[in-house]
Amino acid sequence: MHVQTYAPMFMLFVAATAIATLFFTLATVLGPSKPSAEKSLPFECGSDSDGAQHVRLSVKFYLTAILFVVFDIESVFVYPWAIQFRSLGWMGLASMMGFLLVILVGLVYAWKKGALEWET
Amino acid sequence: MTIGQVYFYLCAAVALFGALAAVCAKSPVRAALGLLMMVLAVAGLYLSLDAQFLAAIQLIVYAGAIVVLFVFVLMLLGHTPLVGVGDGSPAARILGATGFGAVALAAMILSARNAEPTNFPAALPAGFGSVGEIGRLMFTQTLVPFELSSALLMVAVVGAVAVSKGEKPVIVAAASVLAPPGAAPKPGESQ
Amino acid sequence: MMPSILALMPMLVIGFGALALMLAEVLTDAKTGLAVGTAVVLFTAAAFACAGWMVGPENLGDAAVFAPWLVFDRFTLFFEVLLALSGALAALVAGGYLREHGIDRGEFYAILSFSTLGAMMLAAAGDVLMLFVGLETMSIGAYALAGFRRGSPKSAEGALKYFLLGSFAAALMMFGFALLYGATGHTDLAGLHNALASESLRSPSIVIALALVLAGLAFKVSAVPFHMWTPDAYEGAPTPATAFMAASVKAGGFAVLLRVLLTVFGDERSASWATGWPPVVALLAVLTMTVANLVAGRQESIKRMLAYSSIAHAGYLLVGVVAAIRAPAQAQSAVLFYLATYSVSTIGAFAALVLCGSRGAEVVSYEDLAGLGRRHPAVALPFAFFILSLAGMPPMAGFFGKWFVFKAAMDAGLHGLTVIAFINSVIAAYYYLKVFVFLYMREPAAGAPIAKPMWSGEVVTAIALCAFFVLLLGLAPGAVLDAALAVGGAG
Repeated sequence: MHVQTYAPMFMLFVAATAIATLFFTLATVLGPSKPSAEKSLPFECGSDSDGAQHVRLSVKFYLTAILFVVFDIESVFVYPWAIQFRSLGWMGLASMMGFLLVILVGLVYAWKKGALEWET
Repeated sequence: MTIGQVYFYLCAAVALFGALAAVCAKSPVRAALGLLMMVLAVAGLYLSLDAQFLAAIQLIVYAGAIVVLFVFVLMLLGHTPLVGVGDGSPAARILGATGFGAVALAAMILSARNAEPTNFPAALPAGFGSVGEIGRLMFTQTLVPFELSSALLMVAVVGAVAVSKGEKPVIVAAASVLAPPGAAPKPGESQ
Repeated sequence: MMPSILALMPMLVIGFGALALMLAEVLTDAKTGLAVGTAVVLFTAAAFACAGWMVGPENLGDAAVFAPWLVFDRFTLFFEVLLALSGALAALVAGGYLREHGIDRGEFYAILSFSTLGAMMLAAAGDVLMLFVGLETMSIGAYALAGFRRGSPKSAEGALKYFLLGSFAAALMMFGFALLYGATGHTDLAGLHNALASESLRSPSIVIALALVLAGLAFKVSAVPFHMWTPDAYEGAPTPATAFMAASVKAGGFAVLLRVLLTVFGDERSASWATGWPPVVALLAVLTMTVANLVAGRQESIKRMLAYSSIAHAGYLLVGVVAAIRAPAQAQSAVLFYLATYSVSTIGAFAALVLCGSRGAEVVSYEDLAGLGRRHPAVALPFAFFILSLAGMPPMAGFFGKWFVFKAAMDAGLHGLTVIAFINSVIAAYYYLKVFVFLYMREPAAGAPIAKPMWSGEVVTAIALCAFFVLLLGLAPGAVLDAALAVGGAG
């Protein structure tokens, strides 16, 4: 059990939560509250709000997000390799280059297919 | 109770709460946030198992990328509350959930009671869970699955391009970002 | 070093071939050659797997460097040949179909190749980690192929159902393997087998693990009651993708099912009728055959009928799996041989179905087939031919497939199960013969839309190859049967 090693980190969490809770509580308790019909109207930069509450996003967001996940996972693999770069030697370099080559083909493919372009 | 046990039960409770929220929440965005809570708590559990790298990856990939992807997909679908979804009767759903839950619970209790960790090392090997040790293992022992997992990543890239590019769907999304606001009211939008 | 490279060659050829196809598609304008290119890549892979077979896995000694991740025995090599050939035939069908229907996007071929690679990894997997990587590579490709026809709501619906249920099934299976790991401390299949076979280990969680793994596997081979996604996914997918799912994905599923049930759970206790999986699999087999055949007879759509037919064939295959408890070698060979006959017959049927229709005049329902035998005998004949093979008529491959599976079941003493399987294949004749009635004995109603055949060299080549294999396996099954028996003997 080495969770104790991370005690400072958890203390930071606790402090952050405590401060946020404190401010919210103080604002709720001390702040004046005079609701009126005018105040509870939706506010949109001064103009009347219009349209549906939730807009549908384009499928482009999905493609971008999934490509991000794929290359994110690639970077996850590269990191431990980089740590062990010297001790793994040429074999490790070749293994990683083989992997990266495949991913590179994927990148070229996505690029040429226009998957990285926003305006199509 | 040691501090370790307190920590475990805290993380486990948060994970369970998040998972329940993900399943039970009516609003999909709340469900996604419940999932995020679960992911964070599980990362905390990894930390207590000396798997620091895994905990970090859990945060970067799951909390950072996959939950974000979920939220994107929810926005693609236009997030209407999940009311009346599914044509099964409530009884069938409750029965299914209870049945599966009972099996899962029985599995956990039985595994816990009959734990025979014969093949597990008594002490952790040096450097267990550290980034360097994982890198060494990945490029020596598990090199074959590592290299072949590139095929998995590739099929994901090409598959994503295949289902989201190409010819336009016949039913164009009713209210895309480009459509003028209010042009296409969606069913179930009563506000 | 050389022999170990030879063992890996089929996978390497497909992997790098798929990458080359991706680059060729985006860097050049070679749209038309992609189908043929994919077929060449996959045929090459099949040739390398055959070469590995000739050399013999026992001489691929250095292939042990891939242990425990990949196992290169005759079982793996048999599946590699089968999967590569199925993939190549499906790619050829796609070449004609996608062009005709205006969805000629090169992604199809790359996905098909990677998915085939995933199925090969699945067949070769010697470790749960590898098994999962292979399963996901195969399945994600199949989900994308099912949803390939972006313009069609049916395609989207089928793909979504397939994806959600498939992911859930994979999760169940992983839960099962996690419990196994907890009970034994092993993730390699051989180690799991040894741990389960040892008398000391009697953890009840193993039973739950078995149930979960079995549910996941049953989903992948679309056994009733885990078949709900199949008709929708098969109907919505472009027809070549349907052929690929019905042949390759199902073969991949059976590869892992055999590996897991006969290797991991192949010990005395797990594989016995009283205390193990055989009664459960037998029940699955009976349900699968009966429900699928009864529902298939009520379908209006030809593709849905073929989808239920493929479910029913999974049922016959499961009968063979159950027979493996008494005569493992014989039953396993029968299942492998059946898979070979079923794959070529079903791809042939879908290829002929593609040829029967053209853009805007596809064959959807039985009505569309009315009078086709008289109007266009050249395309009606191949369809009738492959339907006969699926029905298991004597000179065709399908007959010998059924024969060996039923014989294996009889030899294993499963008389009741064999009788049920036999009755089912008689019921199945009803909906297969219905195709003949419409092809040759009906005329289309006045003013009804009629199907117009298309022409495509690729599809015709695929049909010719399928017909060749169907006749080969039907008239001279010796060579392939010997190969299947060699697998059983070695395993």
